[in-house]
Amino acid sequence: MKGITHFMTGVAVSSFFGRAVEMAEYDRSWILILGGMYGIMADTLDFKFYAFFSRDDHEVSPDPLRPDARTVAAQIGKAIEQAYDENRMVKIKCHTIRVGADLWRQYVIKFDAEKGEVVVVMNPIVTTSQIPYVGTEPKEHRVGRYKLRVPLVETHGRPTVVDIMNGPQIGFKRTGDHVIVEFIPFHRTWTHSFFVGFLAAAVAALVASLGAGWGTGWYYGLVAMVAYWSHLASDLTGYMGASFFWPFWKKRTPGLGWFKAQNPHSNFIFNYFCLIVTIFNLNRFTYIDPVSRTGHYIAASPLKYFLWTFIIPIGAYLLLAKLFGRKEKEEKEGVVLAEQAMQEEAVDQMEGQFT
Amino acid sequence: MDVLGVILWTVAGTLCASIVSLMPALHIYNVSGILIILTMGAGTSTLIPMPYVPVFMMAMVVGWAILNTVPALFLGAPDESAIFVVLPGQKYMMQGRGYEAAALTGIGALAGILAMLAASPVFFRALPKLRHITRPHLFWIMGLIITYMLMSEWPKGSGRQKTGWGRFIDGWKNLGAGLLTFLLSGILGFIILNKPIIPIQYSFQNIMPVFVGLFAIPWVLGNIFCKTEIPPQYICRTADLDVRFWSRGGFGGFLGGMIAAFLPVVTGGIGGFIAGHATAQRDDRLFIISQGASKSVYYIGSFLLAFVPGLELTRGGMAWMLRPFTSAHSYEDYWRIMGVIMLSGGISFFLLLLYSRLVIRLINRINYRSLSVAVLFILLAVVWGVSGIMGLALMFVGTGIGLLPVYYHSRRMNCMGVLLLPITLNMGGVGQHVARFMGLV
Repeated sequence: MKGITHFMTGVAVSSFFGRAVEMAEYDRSWILILGGMYGIMADTLDFKFYAFFSRDDHEVSPDPLRPDARTVAAQIGKAIEQAYDENRMVKIKCHTIRVGADLWRQYVIKFDAEKGEVVVVMNPIVTTSQIPYVGTEPKEHRVGRYKLRVPLVETHGRPTVVDIMNGPQIGFKRTGDHVIVEFIPFHRTWTHSFFVGFLAAAVAALVASLGAGWGTGWYYGLVAMVAYWSHLASDLTGYMGASFFWPFWKKRTPGLGWFKAQNPHSNFIFNYFCLIVTIFNLNRFTYIDPVSRTGHYIAASPLKYFLWTFIIPIGAYLLLAKLFGRKEKEEKEGVVLAEQAMQEEAVDQMEGQFT
Repeated sequence: MDVLGVILWTVAGTLCASIVSLMPALHIYNVSGILIILTMGAGTSTLIPMPYVPVFMMAMVVGWAILNTVPALFLGAPDESAIFVVLPGQKYMMQGRGYEAAALTGIGALAGILAMLAASPVFFRALPKLRHITRPHLFWIMGLIITYMLMSEWPKGSGRQKTGWGRFIDGWKNLGAGLLTFLLSGILGFIILNKPIIPIQYSFQNIMPVFVGLFAIPWVLGNIFCKTEIPPQYICRTADLDVRFWSRGGFGGFLGGMIAAFLPVVTGGIGGFIAGHATAQRDDRLFIISQGASKSVYYIGSFLLAFVPGLELTRGGMAWMLRPFTSAHSYEDYWRIMGVIMLSGGISFFLLLLYSRLVIRLINRINYRSLSVAVLFILLAVVWGVSGIMGLALMFVGTGIGLLPVYYHSRRMNCMGVLLLPITLNMGGVGQHVARFMGLV
């Protein structure tokens, strides 16, 4: 799920705590902000802290003046074979190729498990906004292939585009008789565990206790913990999974595979649902007459409320998406360019065989 | 109120806004504020017949919301809501597609207006209840927006340092600059809201010099010192846009604009940013359409909320200025003003295309750097004229803060801390303690 989806999920689950909503309303407490903050915390820890300290075994740093796809493919291929031979995780950092203040050479890495090869394509120069300057692709050694001598399993599902700012880290791990490719292997490890969620929430409880006393502080911790755990629960709906039970069981538990993390429809529906749930809960714990604690601004039953605010609108949205939505798969422009280059290379090779 | 009068004052308001919107730094609320003081000082209008005042003002807002794209995009002088359009817009300009970018924001604005029309029944039923439910919770909802703004920024380091700490420091440069920008803007906001240094006669323009400093001047300086050269601009005949794309961008922008219109202080840019994340938008064209819609729905929608029967919600500068003079509670008032929005929106869209062509002709003839220098002098002159020497001083402070995100490649949106931080803390009951701590009260 995207960052905002985790954020809104955290807010939605924390709104179920009636006392928290009442504290916000009557005591001007900021407790519900913890919901959003801790909802997104696990990814924050990964990408803003842990990512910098994840060790690289190898670094791919192509020459900006003479980019050679064959060299890059060979470097990555050898790292895969090393992971197999040494039976350990080997991580490789794929650096970006900066060629100007706002210009980058884009390249695409494809792990072709079927053919057992690593394919690298040097694409045109792009701006920081990833707009390509057509015609700037290298004339020589644009496509590089490395034939692997070990079997490969690719779990990311799409080619990796390396272009601007900071390049990705890719991990290779031997599992049984093949090597698994893990995109950004530092992600969803120890930070995505119930135990770390508990620890992080304990910090919130401690800080809140210093300000408001233990009688209230533990409640802040509870809200923060549930929000943190909601992140783990929503990551379970994807493919990658996470190390939910670290440090007791360090292996990544696979996700249920219901949605892809970047799917716009699932993210939007999830976000909308969280919004509707939050409003539902705010209404539930907000009274027209706070003294006698009676009366709500929305008097409809939960069934009627969710029918009108969620089921009907989302039904209409899905129908419209089905009728008018994009039928073909959306691909990144860089990937499309790389696929074209690979096809052209194949045609050239075939023509070479006949002449 | 006769139909002809409504049409006449709608056209007049749109044309008036079209002149104001071409002047960098001038905000429609500054001009309408002066207009209200000049014509309605005695509590009744002397220039515009009283019943037509809301019509004229709404047309001004609509015209401004659509046409302020022109200085933002072509002259690099955005306001706080247009700041998001400038970056992709300038990228389009560098590809000779500035006209297309301007047209896309206009198309987005029309989508936003249509979405407001379609959502009117929902406004009548849902917004009054939503307002009652969220009223005691607004402070933490705004706190959530701030939290997400700050937590969702990504590190931009090169990742080439040898040690983990080296990479961490490199990666946190832009994040740290973003946090610092927000904090400094917030402190500035506390100062100007608690101890205005603008002379009393200019007090209603208190915030304007700061906004010009934070948002417009850094862009213009960037254009001057980076020696930006604009290639010849292509005037396209079609936008090459299908309904699916248009509706997706328009829908996202509408959501963002409504978030901004409903919540205090949150601008169209921030609303559009949040809605863009929530609807998982990635494409540049989609982003421009969405921002065009968001910006328009924010300006128009915040004033429109004053006309929603049973809502009684005052949001946005125009609604606050007119609040003592007008009250509209009937459905008839609402639909009339909706008609004004549609008519003014249509006229403004075509004016946007016309003005874009004219400015492009200017850009093609005059060196862009010289034009940027001229814009800088206009900004200085307007700020000086409107708020005096102290306004200029405030503008320079704002510029210093506004340059931080430019140099560290962090989000310029963080400059909105100038209003977000003090007002959110005030609403949460903490603002007075902070002000006291800063020695401001």
